[in-house]
Amino acid sequence: MSAVRAIIARDLRLGARQGGLGTAIGFLLALIVLVPLSLGPDLALLSRIAPGIMWLGLLLAVLLTSEQIFQQDFEDGSLDLMTMTATPFELIVLAKAFSHWITVSLPLAVLAPPLGLMLNINIAQVPMIWVAMILGSFALSMLAAIGGAVTAGLRRGSLLVSLVILPLYVPVLIFGIAASTSGLAPETALPSFLVLLAITLVTLVISPLASAAALKAYLR
Amino acid sequence: MDWSAPHAGFVAAAYAASAIGILGLIIWLVRRDISARKQEDHIG
Amino acid sequence: MQKYANPHVFVKLASVVLPYVWALTAILFAIGLYGALVTSPPDYQQGETVRIMYVHVPASWLALMIYSLMAVFSAIALIFRHPLADAAAKSAAPIGAVFCFLALFTGSVWGKPMWGTWWVWDARLTSMFVLMLLYLGYMAIWRAIDDPHRAASIAAIVALVGAINVPIVKYSVDWWNTLHQPASVFRMSGSTIDKSMLWPLLVMALAYTMLFVALLLVALRGEIALRKLRSKRLAEVRSK
Repeated sequence: MSAVRAIIARDLRLGARQGGLGTAIGFLLALIVLVPLSLGPDLALLSRIAPGIMWLGLLLAVLLTSEQIFQQDFEDGSLDLMTMTATPFELIVLAKAFSHWITVSLPLAVLAPPLGLMLNINIAQVPMIWVAMILGSFALSMLAAIGGAVTAGLRRGSLLVSLVILPLYVPVLIFGIAASTSGLAPETALPSFLVLLAITLVTLVISPLASAAALKAYLR
Repeated sequence: MDWSAPHAGFVAAAYAASAIGILGLIIWLVRRDISARKQEDHIG
Repeated sequence: MQKYANPHVFVKLASVVLPYVWALTAILFAIGLYGALVTSPPDYQQGETVRIMYVHVPASWLALMIYSLMAVFSAIALIFRHPLADAAAKSAAPIGAVFCFLALFTGSVWGKPMWGTWWVWDARLTSMFVLMLLYLGYMAIWRAIDDPHRAASIAAIVALVGAINVPIVKYSVDWWNTLHQPASVFRMSGSTIDKSMLWPLLVMALAYTMLFVALLLVALRGEIALRKLRSKRLAEVRSK
């Protein structure tokens, strides 16, 4: 257990220093500029699509940073060492994905909805979007870990990562948006949130198993 | 099938695409199989 | 099962069985197409365009079935390390991908006269589109990884994760679609299908399935030959 804690502490420090979050925020800002430029400044249109654009930005930004979960440790041999410790490798993988969530996805989820104001987002929607994004961001990191693990040994894996992960993101996106735009009434909002929670729990189990298996295949 | 019915062209397009796709698949796989086995006998 | 683990045995068996499978495929297609284009009636509402159903529905069924089979083969490859399992999954993928594409194309062509639009984001089309992405991703993984054993393991994991995703996507897209369903109902020819249309549909479905069996045997035989070729060439290089 102390090994897991040590890995989380280390990855948190590395993540804060390496600035994956900075890149991700930059990407989000770029998207926010490009959308009105490509669709026109019609405020009514923008406010209708703003939640969708913010979610899209969150998805793509997390995807962009997925390689940093395992890449460095894979290349310098630390990952290899980690498979030989007493701690189950799946737990170590989970710890690394968790650190990614803390350093990248969660901050993005917190920062994104206010940025939606630039897209004329309806301010009444922001609280729901906040909660939905924070909840969904965990699953996004878990799924990003699968993509990172599956392409760990490849040199130019980034496009392939997107192709493998995006279908996995579809359910998160659908229910995330549904939860974001369902209004404050609990009867309409609750089902979507519950499904989002269910999806999160499923990824919590599947991601460490699949990622660990894939990484071991590369390390053999 | 009444080929002069309205939208008959869509039916033709669907069947033609299916035929092309299926025949293409058959030709590709059969040629790959034959060439691989020929080379294998040649070397082995 | 262990006897067929030997690629040699499989290749011999496949070569014996194939002519019969091809013959059966041809017969089924002949009967099915006759039923689809000649004997079956036009639809009361859709007219002749309902005949697209006879190539669209079997393609969709096969696209889905083949992916499930790929997942099963992948599981067998990972768990039992059966030597032919990953080759079978790899061989099935392009076949499934073509059927998936045909399902999308014929579905689009069917949609235009029926709904007035080439594409619609209804539950079925959207799910099938995601399935297409899953096929492409799986095939891309095989291509991206040099070491064939490593590629086999990673591809198997990708197939299994994708397989878990398929029902989840279907459920979520279905749900999303009921949220956003516009006024008109996009429904394929209903679940109560007339007998005169049902039998050509089933025959065509069988024909497509037999076609898949034939193609899988051919593809797998070719894959085995390619692998033997590769190992022979490697052995040559090493002995020099």
